[in-house]
Amino acid sequence: MAKGPSSSNLTALRDESVLRRVRHLGSARSGLQEWRLQRWTALALIPLGLYFVASMLRLATSDQITATAWLASPAPALLVILFVIAGLAHALVGLRSVFADYVHTRSTLLATDLIVRAVTIVLGGASVLAVLKLFLGR
Amino acid sequence: MERPLSPFMFPMWYRFQITSTLSILHRFTGIALAVGSILLGWWLIAVAAGGDAFAVTHAFIVSPLGLLMLFGWSVAFFYHLLSGIRHLFWDAGYGFEIRSAYRSGYAVLAGTVVLTALVWLYLYLA
Repeated sequence: MAKGPSSSNLTALRDESVLRRVRHLGSARSGLQEWRLQRWTALALIPLGLYFVASMLRLATSDQITATAWLASPAPALLVILFVIAGLAHALVGLRSVFADYVHTRSTLLATDLIVRAVTIVLGGASVLAVLKLFLGR
Repeated sequence: MERPLSPFMFPMWYRFQITSTLSILHRFTGIALAVGSILLGWWLIAVAAGGDAFAVTHAFIVSPLGLLMLFGWSVAFFYHLLSGIRHLFWDAGYGFEIRSAYRSGYAVLAGTVVLTALVWLYLYLA
């Protein structure tokens, strides 16, 4: 394939046109939304992840006062919440695609899906609540 | 329905190349990071809860196993980050030629080693 911007015309990045083309030819239900969500969260996670890893590896071994002070300040609190939400949304799409590839029984797939979604939502909710508690506790 | 599934191919019929190895590594590190996010949530909740919950969590993180997991998490993070950027370039239509796919693959591996080394060196010195 030739190098250069013209080759992007051939890929799914131009997702609207691809959707329009496949709608009556095959499955085009909710896959596109997931595809898009995975890419947008991936982009968001580049800066958020780098910020998080830079702060977190230092903080993970720190005492509670340092960790509390960090999570109680506005910018870290906001960025950690955004990291958790973007990260879990990204993980959910990824995990679902793994299960879709390797679980071949419809009922098991549905059960796995529900469990993964439930764990993700509870984990995300609890994490956000924990940061909010520290942030508002000041 | 007893169809052979893809992992069955691996030991005998399939020769690993860097492209396929990195592809499956992207998945493995993704799964590892998803599991690691449970530990992240646990840490956040422990900080918010304080007291014994934090003491137990802290003792675990600074234990050899905890530090090893933290190190593994950082390796998985940097690999998945760099490999993910490689995937985004593919999504945009760049780098599909075999030569560039191999080159970017080795770059991802080298970048993972360098970034992991740098971040832990920084932590060690700081």
